[in-house]
Amino acid sequence: MPKYNIDPWEMALNQLGEAARRLDLQKDILRVLSFPRREYTVNFPVRMDDGSIQVFTGYRVQHNAARGPSKGGIRFHPQVTLNEVKALAMWMTWKCAVVNIPYGGAKGGVICDPKKLQVSELERLARRYAFELIPIIGPEQDIPAPDVNTNPQVMAWIMDTYSMHAGYSVPGIVTGKPVSIGGSLGRNEATARGCVFVVLNALKHLDLPIEDLRVVVQGYGNAGSIAARLLAREGATVIAVSDSRGGIYNPKGLDPGAVLEYKAESGSVVGFAGADSVTNAQLLELDCDLLVPAALEKQITADNAPRIKARLIAEAANGPTTPEADCILAEKGVTVIPDILANAGGVTVSYFEWVQSTQSYFWTEREVNLKLRDVMDRAWAAVAAKAEDAQVTLRTAALMLAVERVADAIAIRGVYP
Amino acid sequence: MLKKIECFIQPSRLEALKDALIEAGVGGMTVTDVRGFGRQRGRREDETGAPEVRFLEKNKIEIVVEEEIVDHVLDLIKNAARTGTIGAGKAFVLPVEDALRVSTSETGKRALS
Repeated sequence: MPKYNIDPWEMALNQLGEAARRLDLQKDILRVLSFPRREYTVNFPVRMDDGSIQVFTGYRVQHNAARGPSKGGIRFHPQVTLNEVKALAMWMTWKCAVVNIPYGGAKGGVICDPKKLQVSELERLARRYAFELIPIIGPEQDIPAPDVNTNPQVMAWIMDTYSMHAGYSVPGIVTGKPVSIGGSLGRNEATARGCVFVVLNALKHLDLPIEDLRVVVQGYGNAGSIAARLLAREGATVIAVSDSRGGIYNPKGLDPGAVLEYKAESGSVVGFAGADSVTNAQLLELDCDLLVPAALEKQITADNAPRIKARLIAEAANGPTTPEADCILAEKGVTVIPDILANAGGVTVSYFEWVQSTQSYFWTEREVNLKLRDVMDRAWAAVAAKAEDAQVTLRTAALMLAVERVADAIAIRGVYP
Repeated sequence: MLKKIECFIQPSRLEALKDALIEAGVGGMTVTDVRGFGRQRGRREDETGAPEVRFLEKNKIEIVVEEEIVDHVLDLIKNAARTGTIGAGKAFVLPVEDALRVSTSETGKRALS
């Protein structure tokens, strides 16, 4: 969970201000973008298993809907704050705009500790929260998805609750659903696959052959483990991976599939045969070509950035690099593929899921993957061209491109009435 | 859904690729001797600066498979046709609307197996 040095909403506004300055954006448009369109707070009772009633606070923020319905995850966490949700909603607006899918940004959260809730309590909480959101969510207006501590099961409960009140099934109300109720094939792998597609573009751009690529992956959850497997399949050598308990390192290469099987049995990658142990801190500083942070926020900081040896960093996680570290990496000539591009494969296939759900016509997995590649290839080309034109980093270019696209939509639609 | 894979490879790799495709259960293929050039523009890798673009002998292989095995077949082509140099070839995947086996009138995927 993020621990921000400054308020996350303030940070989001600073980033927007910086991009607006570089774009010479009209002040009026900047003013519109500086506010979320809707901030919805709900306080709702939930019957606990012991018979008592607890009141929970939840939020749903829709930052912008100029390019289409708003889209964003729902997180269940004790440290959720309205300002965090607002910032995350704004970042979703930019992420959707970078990959040019027809969505605005939103985010939701409930202040709760899911680790202390029974499954039955979690279900009642999710269903009641979904009920409270009914006036402002819907397949044409705002479509939730999984985020921290929410998963396909929670999405199924939200979909069912919304459908019960509509009186008929509405699969397009959420994405990240189980495939059995209208989820998309390839959704699970989408974040990692999208990340690998932009990495392949970056390698071509930097003239680095994938056969020579030594890869380090921090985090061996969904994104990290699948990215490692896909990169190895493309011919790269994965030399180190880690999870929250520590890391493993073998300069001759690891078999990502075997490591995943080992983790499934033992609970961690640590102790995998034929590899040395490293700490997460050491892992980031290993001699490698590509570093994929796929774990938590704020892993690459002003402290360790000077010792990072990777030539290329692909941010599969959200916000793994602090702004200070970003400057250091840029000075060192490290290419950083920013999170809003590198991990946008997830929301892109969420979009595909929504398209399939609303049409009730489903694609093969290969079709999903090829369409994802097309979106990621285009997004890379647009961001790389922007970086070249404006002589800025990929991160700044991605944000400029996103703000520009949203600003165009606002300007052309005009102000109602 | 059916897909056609057309690949262009160096003739020296044909037998290895044929064996790999049969092993993968591909039921038939068509091979044509063709001439062409790609990024190497008809040059061998040790030649430099030759201004003339030449056609080199290549084999074109055409197979039709079910979509589910396309990625696997592309992997086989990658492994069998690789020569370690540029000019090893290319493969293209095309949609196939339908298929017909003339002797039995079977259509679609039944025409393949």
